[in-house]
Amino acid sequence: MNPTRGPEPPAPSAPDAPNLKFRARLLLIFMLLLVCGSALYVLYARGVFESTQKLVLLADDSEGVVVGMDLTFAGFPIGRVRRIELAEDGKARILIDVAAGDARWLRASSIFTLSRGIVGGANLRAYSGVLEDPPLPDGAVRTVLQGDPGAEIHKAASSARELIENLNALTGSDGALGMTLANLRSVTARLNEMMKVRGGALAVLLGSEAEAKKLTVTLDRTNALLARLDGIAGRADIQVFGEAGVMPETRAAVVRLGALLDDARGTLKKVDAVLVDAHAIGGNVKDATADLGVLRGEVDASLRKIDGLINEINRKWPFARDTEIRLP
Amino acid sequence: MRPIDSLQSRLTHTGGAAQPWLAEWWRLVDLGAVILVLALSPSSYGRERRAALSRHIYLDTAPILLGFSVLCALVTVVLTRIVLVTAQSYGLSQYALQVVIRVLVLELIPLTAALFVALRCTIPDGAELAAMQASGELDEMRRHGLDPVRFEVLPRAVAGMFAAITLAALSSLVVLVVAYLVGYGFTASGLAVYTRVFGQVFTPAVTLIFVLKALFFALAVSLIPMASALYGMRGGGVRTSAEMRGLVRMFAVMLLIEVASLVGNYY
Repeated sequence: MNPTRGPEPPAPSAPDAPNLKFRARLLLIFMLLLVCGSALYVLYARGVFESTQKLVLLADDSEGVVVGMDLTFAGFPIGRVRRIELAEDGKARILIDVAAGDARWLRASSIFTLSRGIVGGANLRAYSGVLEDPPLPDGAVRTVLQGDPGAEIHKAASSARELIENLNALTGSDGALGMTLANLRSVTARLNEMMKVRGGALAVLLGSEAEAKKLTVTLDRTNALLARLDGIAGRADIQVFGEAGVMPETRAAVVRLGALLDDARGTLKKVDAVLVDAHAIGGNVKDATADLGVLRGEVDASLRKIDGLINEINRKWPFARDTEIRLP
Repeated sequence: MRPIDSLQSRLTHTGGAAQPWLAEWWRLVDLGAVILVLALSPSSYGRERRAALSRHIYLDTAPILLGFSVLCALVTVVLTRIVLVTAQSYGLSQYALQVVIRVLVLELIPLTAALFVALRCTIPDGAELAAMQASGELDEMRRHGLDPVRFEVLPRAVAGMFAAITLAALSSLVVLVVAYLVGYGFTASGLAVYTRVFGQVFTPAVTLIFVLKALFFALAVSLIPMASALYGMRGGGVRTSAEMRGLVRMFAVMLLIEVASLVGNYY
């Protein structure tokens, strides 16, 4: 296999011994570091070193859930399934370790869903609508909502089957569509037949030739009536819109009414002027009334003075004064 | 009475053929137990034997580390790319790296590392031992009161085990790093997700099976060539050479270990 390697003596050659020993030791340390590092990395990847809080999800069916799968929030894994067990009430209990750092995304109002895709495994997802709610306590128990596209496919398939059955029933020889088409065919045949003979489509629609004739007569009379109505309309047109019709006279009356309104407007203007004058007169009367008040005051003062003067004179006038009081 | 006679003769013939086969396997198991006991006893690592052991360990492991790591990196680049592109075309890219870790790290790399160590180290070591046996060197040692198992077989077997385990660990690391670089590019932003995927693959059961598989592979590739070299020359009358029989036996044992690990992982 290796021609360069022949049978070796049991003791190594002296010059390279210390160097080899040192290198072998380095190799040993390297191997130990490698193995220990790998072990630590596996432990770290398994989440041994992260602090977690527990969450229990209750599901009717834990199919597709496996130990170690992720619980995601907005697409980011925040926890992993640690254990799945069957509870006393027959429900599956999914025990999840949520990383303590990511537990803040879970609130008391959070909901959890378990959905199974058509391809791939199941997915556990958390949704927190109100992030201001109090945080989810440690060891909380929540019911998981389940959605299954596979079940939806079954539903859709059964609905499609019903639809196809209905279509088959509709389009079958004894179905509604078949009967309608048969009726249509017979009507068309009859129409063709009647078109060839007399009465045409009207006879087909009304059932007999006599009825079709009646309808034709009615139509003729209606036509005659319409011709007469046409004449009446022409005469009414002349009466209304002719030279001596109603409309020209009305127009003249309107013109006259306009003139009358002009006259009325002039009269009103005059009345307005008269009212202005009356207003001025009223103002003068008001002034005069004010002057009369002053004059009256002056007259009152003069009279009081005269009265005082007479009293003075009477006091001073000793004679020719009869002071006797006569009783009746 | 004749059918009974023929059955008896056939059984006798089968038993006669099975006896040496069983004896060979028993010698192999016996040698394995002796080597393990010697490897675990501190007296085997005395001052005078440490030099020989260091020399074997270094010469068996160091020259192949770089070459095997580069080979692993190349294989990983190609396989990861294939798996990623295929998964993307089916819209299943989220499972691609998990598949790469499962296929390469769990299954292919330990097997390849063990085979590489067997071809480059332990089979040549076995050939050396066989040559020593043929030249009567080992018998000479026995006559001088020195146990060849302790002085010649043990250092080579320990060096083979050491090489197999180191190569498996290093190549797993290389595969993980290269698969990450191919999957995410030269960025650290995918580390958390990648570690999570790695953690999902390496469940406790899978990790235990992986470790046991690596250990048994190391034992198989280091012990079977030595046993064939020590005892193979004695079995006369067999057409194939002792080396070839040892090789076949080693591959059979490795196949059994791989099948057992697959059964443990996926059933």
